[in-house]
Amino acid sequence: MALNLKTPQVETRDQRLGTITQWDGNAGQLVKDSAFTFGCSKGCENGGRRLCEQSTPFAQASMCAEHIAVTNATIIQDSVVVQHSPIGCAASQSFTARYYRDLAARRGWKLEDPKSICTNLGEQDMVFGGVARLEDTIRDAYERHKPRVIFVATSCATGIIGDDVDGAAKRVEDEIGIPVVTLHCEGFKSKHWSSGWDVIEHGILRRLVPEPPRKQPDLINVIHLGGPDVFSPLLNPLGLRVNLVMGGNTLERLAQMSEAAATVTMCFVLSYLATGLEQQFGVPEVRAPLPYGLDATDNWLRDIARLTGTSDKVEAVIASERARVAPELARLRKALTGKRGFVAAGAAFAHGLLADLRELGVTVDDAFSFHHDPTTDSGDPQQDSLGHLVDAWGDIPNYTVSPDQHFQAHAALLRAKPDFVICRHTGTLAVLAGRMGIPVLPIFYSNDGLGYEGLLTIGRAILRVLPRKRFYEDVAAHSSFPYQPWWLAETDPYAPILEPA
Amino acid sequence: MLSPVTNTQDPTGSFCSSPGAIEQVRYGCSLGALASVIAIPGAIPITHCGPGCATKQFHALSGINAYQGGEFHVPSTNLGNQEVIFGGADRLDELIASTLKVMEADLFVVQTGCIPGLVGDDVGSVVRKYQKRGVPIVVAETSGYRGNNFTGHETVIRAIIDQFVDAGDAPLQHGLVNVWSLLPYQNPFWRGDLSEIRRILEGIGLQVNILFGPASAGVAEWRAIPRAQFNLVLSPWLGLSTAQHLEELYGQPFLHEPTIPIGAKATSAFLRRVVEFAGLDRARAEAFIAQEEKEHYIYLRDFACFYAGSTSQYRLPSQAVVISESAYSLAVASFLVEQLGLNPGPFVISENPPEELRETIQKQYRALAEHSGAEAVFEQDGKRIHDIVRATDFTGELPIVFGSTWEAALADEIGAPLVEIGYPCTDEVVLSRAYVGYRGALQLIERTYTTVVRASTMA
Repeated sequence: MALNLKTPQVETRDQRLGTITQWDGNAGQLVKDSAFTFGCSKGCENGGRRLCEQSTPFAQASMCAEHIAVTNATIIQDSVVVQHSPIGCAASQSFTARYYRDLAARRGWKLEDPKSICTNLGEQDMVFGGVARLEDTIRDAYERHKPRVIFVATSCATGIIGDDVDGAAKRVEDEIGIPVVTLHCEGFKSKHWSSGWDVIEHGILRRLVPEPPRKQPDLINVIHLGGPDVFSPLLNPLGLRVNLVMGGNTLERLAQMSEAAATVTMCFVLSYLATGLEQQFGVPEVRAPLPYGLDATDNWLRDIARLTGTSDKVEAVIASERARVAPELARLRKALTGKRGFVAAGAAFAHGLLADLRELGVTVDDAFSFHHDPTTDSGDPQQDSLGHLVDAWGDIPNYTVSPDQHFQAHAALLRAKPDFVICRHTGTLAVLAGRMGIPVLPIFYSNDGLGYEGLLTIGRAILRVLPRKRFYEDVAAHSSFPYQPWWLAETDPYAPILEPA
Repeated sequence: MLSPVTNTQDPTGSFCSSPGAIEQVRYGCSLGALASVIAIPGAIPITHCGPGCATKQFHALSGINAYQGGEFHVPSTNLGNQEVIFGGADRLDELIASTLKVMEADLFVVQTGCIPGLVGDDVGSVVRKYQKRGVPIVVAETSGYRGNNFTGHETVIRAIIDQFVDAGDAPLQHGLVNVWSLLPYQNPFWRGDLSEIRRILEGIGLQVNILFGPASAGVAEWRAIPRAQFNLVLSPWLGLSTAQHLEELYGQPFLHEPTIPIGAKATSAFLRRVVEFAGLDRARAEAFIAQEEKEHYIYLRDFACFYAGSTSQYRLPSQAVVISESAYSLAVASFLVEQLGLNPGPFVISENPPEELRETIQKQYRALAEHSGAEAVFEQDGKRIHDIVRATDFTGELPIVFGSTWEAALADEIGAPLVEIGYPCTDEVVLSRAYVGYRGALQLIERTYTTVVRASTMA
């Protein structure tokens, strides 16, 4: 289904893709059910059934789409983000600033605090509306910082009171002459925070990507989550230049996206932008399974080469990279074989890490994914990353989908008894694993596991954290969790909690 | 210029004022007081709010604020479309019922966020149902648009006192004190500071309900609140309304000490006032003070070597710029000016204290260093705070900045070292470090002058 880039609000992931956040079973079944639900007109004989989301009456604090959208708007250079919200939503400013400064140091940008202002709505604004305050704040943001773009993000409160945020943005935009891009990211609108990616990508596509003045046949867009550029070393040998987007950008980079020869994404959760670029500007999206593990990386490079007309160079690159990593990979496999791993991350990224661990010789029968998309925006089955994982590496017997719920993670970890946990989004799982006596490898910059080098990066990182067992076991012996005894012993994350009414 | 809303308080008083747009936010919202609940051993907040609200508040206040950590496995309704449209009271009911099945706590505090406030959920009646059954549960209305985590803290405390603490016929316990002081998690040093406050009060013969943090016995202390001989408010304004409320409820008198003491001079004077107020055994207290001072001044004597002479190659700061919530701003400013002999620079109070208490706070600054011209500024917007500092004439002075991470770039700009003392504090890892009392003062000196030496040696 085509993306609708005409309206300022993005259709949520729940509506577009049928995203679910609660499920437990084996990964093979989830693949079948997802395909049954979305891929084969709900009738083919693949052994699947309509994907049915599980439910539980108990829930713990999760994350919201606003957080993702605002963070990623804030780290765009020369921008100011106006959070049209009560003060609490802007509590993220401090860690977004920390994130930006870290990115800036890694990428060689000017070290400065990113700019964001909160309209700080109070109770009277809830009654009388906050549009006047919003307009003043946008003007003031412009006066203070002379940015090249201003983002205006909504909040649950402004969504409910119904402030005309688009109208206000348009009025001030006409006055100050720079784009004022609205981000409709009320947290209550989607079950999953990853909808925030769609919000910011929608805003970028609508307002910051122009019709291409020319094509650049050697330019390839790489959509990633932030962190160091691990892509250029892989793609430069093919004669390609990387336009690394998302996770902090200049406006020039964003504008150039429509000029590129192709788009590749390191995580299909971010694929709204890639699909939009293909639909709107004819920039083809690389759809090969993501480059986790040796074979997938080979095929990913071949697909990129095919789309960019560089197939003549690709086999030499593959051979040389394989040869380069072979000795170290052998050492890592030897050290890791027989270890039991546990992966916790968001959908496609979790699938990638699972492939990495299996390539490294780690036994991994348990995974914890923060959400599940039964399909992607392109609808192409090649992007079924879980299906690819199961085909290439075999089933994951215990595959839990949970929006980072501490109590469910506790049960899942108790069931898995891993030697280590590898996780992204360090909200719940990292400290939980640690306090259960399990060494944990948190991944902040999610490019770490990509490509040939990624295997070495991940393998080495695991070996660095394993000895911390000495610390975590000591902590575990002296801590407890505030659960009832029956839940402390529970190993089914979806064990019934209340009798049905 | 961002200007405050002119009609900040409507005549009926039914609306809370909002002070205008803010850049570089220095506190959380009312819901952020869930950190105060988490700070009570044995208590768990149940949050009735949108899906990201509780996480964002706790991550901001704890996760990256001196990396304090803490128990975050907070039940939440994670409200969605359905509850926004049809109301969320039923969902809250279901969440509380399932929380009681899964979790174990001595006290549950239901806190509301923006959404239930706006859609009009009748949260009180949901919670009362459980209270009638004897479940230890209270409800606090902490919609984010109603205030910040300071006012939310007072709302939560009031809820616990009014709905959970039972006066009964508990006998008054002479020598027992309830302490209302630093805001947990907001202040990066609250854990160590509350331990030190407990230690010195016990030193002069009191028994202490410190109420929050590792030094607290948890919910048992809260149950013991009505038995206390008096309340001690150890902060410029936070806790004052709680003490007044307890005075009305139980007839407990209170002692208000606006300046949290740092260093021997201030701490001993503070303790003597407490001894006087509570009618404690003077001889015992004096013996404790003497022992503490003896040890303390040996350290100061030795530090004097550094301060006086061995340091002529370093740029020892001469003027203090302090930007923080009022409790620490006042405490640190007093110590630097009165006891270390620095000149007062701009002092900024960044947490929006109640209007009616600002003059009282200001008096404490004006009294510093025999009327040296010290004056506090009440400002919450980072841009304007920094403009105030930039506009200061530092001629002949070597400034040092005590503030938050937001002041890092500013400190660089004016060539001053930065010591982080407030939220947000993202470049310090803080466990039990204290900056108040006798022992805290020594650690504050250590951190301050290590920063000064590093600024010279690493440049």
